[in-house]
Amino acid sequence: MVPIDRRAFLGTFGAGISALSGCLGDSNADAEPDPAGDGSDGGSGSAAGGPPTVERSLPAAYTADELEEASRSGGPPPDGIPAIEDPQFAEATDPPASLDDGDPVFGVVLDGEAKAYPQSVLVWHEIVNDVIGGTPVSVTYCPLTGTAQGFHRGGTTFGVLGRLINANLVMFDRATERWWPQMLATRITGDDPGDHLAEFQVVWTTWERWRSVHSETVVLTEDTGFARNYGTDPYGGYNPRSGYYASDGFLFPPLAEDDRITPKTVVVGMRSANGAVAVRKETLREERLVEFDVGGVRHAAVYDESLDTGYVYRVGSGGESGNGSEGSDGADAEAATLSWGDGDVAVDGDVHAPDSLPFEREIAFDAMWFAWYGYYPMTDLHQ
Amino acid sequence: MSARRASAALHGVSGDVAGAVRLTLGRRDSAAVVVAVTIGYLLAYLWATGDLSLRTGIDPGVLVIDDPLARLFVRTGPTSFGAIATVDTGVIRLLLSPVNVAIGTAVAGLVGINLGVTYLAIRRPEACGIGAGSGPLASVPALLSGTVCCGPVVLLAVGVQATAVVLTAFVWLLPVGIALLLASLVYVATKVDPRRPSSSGGD
Repeated sequence: MVPIDRRAFLGTFGAGISALSGCLGDSNADAEPDPAGDGSDGGSGSAAGGPPTVERSLPAAYTADELEEASRSGGPPPDGIPAIEDPQFAEATDPPASLDDGDPVFGVVLDGEAKAYPQSVLVWHEIVNDVIGGTPVSVTYCPLTGTAQGFHRGGTTFGVLGRLINANLVMFDRATERWWPQMLATRITGDDPGDHLAEFQVVWTTWERWRSVHSETVVLTEDTGFARNYGTDPYGGYNPRSGYYASDGFLFPPLAEDDRITPKTVVVGMRSANGAVAVRKETLREERLVEFDVGGVRHAAVYDESLDTGYVYRVGSGGESGNGSEGSDGADAEAATLSWGDGDVAVDGDVHAPDSLPFEREIAFDAMWFAWYGYYPMTDLHQ
Repeated sequence: MSARRASAALHGVSGDVAGAVRLTLGRRDSAAVVVAVTIGYLLAYLWATGDLSLRTGIDPGVLVIDDPLARLFVRTGPTSFGAIATVDTGVIRLLLSPVNVAIGTAVAGLVGINLGVTYLAIRRPEACGIGAGSGPLASVPALLSGTVCCGPVVLLAVGVQATAVVLTAFVWLLPVGIALLLASLVYVATKVDPRRPSSSGGD
């Protein structure tokens, strides 16, 4: 995997792994991720009026033109699936009546503020344009690829385009109306495409787990300003898993296919300048700690049983973080010994919670395997 | 000359349809068929669009969104529009989209009239020799079109991927369905002779 710059990328068609870098405006290449460990990478630049972008490199298997050509109508027109623009929240003690303990929610903590977004609400809207901890953000969810991701949006908002690439949500920013496929977090239309959105970690967990860990959380209500059949899911269900989420069938074909594991198997995916990797979530649940190399750099995936989620750390030095930062000043990374014990991780004997190891934490998110592989066919898979 | 002939033919067809509709609505039994089918089809259409569903355990009530007029004509699919209110009965939930209801009522009315006239044709076999399947078959495309509201999930059930061709076909289902229903109505109406006496019925 050899990262190259954006212009080289744009001149290369269909060529394995390239890398995108790009940042319009007054980019700040030294922008550091949030040291608090919430996984936020903040914003470091933006197109005129567009969302903030960051200087970073990500693996790419397709050119912007190829991706645009691969887009297809999902049925609804732009904004036919309406983003929530004025989200209303309730205390954890007064959640929406239709939200059961075992229902999935997407949890976010930014600047000490915790919020939960029920999947049963987002399945009807896919994007919530919100402000968390004083920062304008968009919390996004694509039902067809099972991906929940967070982006800084700056002064603009994101809408649902109504087109799909690789069965994945394509967002558009309302300032420039350019296209941003959710999983790629990359602009693919307009002049000089390849800018990357600033991401932050979104945790896919259950309502019971989230409020147990974050008792001060608030939760998105069904008071969205729209009339929708909240509490039902047009695609199936997660509690228990059924319908589209449980079947091996596609609604929209992926860009590439692989049969090592079934298409809807949930993986914890991470991509950075070093490459892309997917760890089967069930494997992570069982093994708790999975170590591997990505692009020759040591990484570790860690299971957090309190939230039933996984984090990916860049343990070794070298390369650039997917967050756009350089290196880590944490433990002696190359030689560190990691071990799991009683819900925590010991690093050279020092015990750390799974979400706060002394290494660079990469943005990672749950995804259906077919969607991850479709976008990142060069990915490593730990099954 | 040919234009005059076409105009005369059109006038004749219109007269046949109007006569058949009058005859159908003028008899209690066939009118009952029209009303029952129209209501049934409208319910099926709203269910297919996702606007009507079973929802138990929710207190009865009506919730109207802020600024409903602004959402009235916002499309949520090729032929579906946004709901402006939630109506809960305790058993059934209706997402009230006036435009969807209007479209559904128009299609349901066409289906109802089709089946009402077909019913008459069957009840009066001396008037024609048509089968009963034309109206229901013509109604299927329009009913299917409702499923495009939030993703063609129906395709998953039948194991078909949403290719560009299939999605394009979905866009045309409603207009094609309406055209088929009109053609079916014209066909059936021209087979019914309102001037012949009825052999049975409630008139």
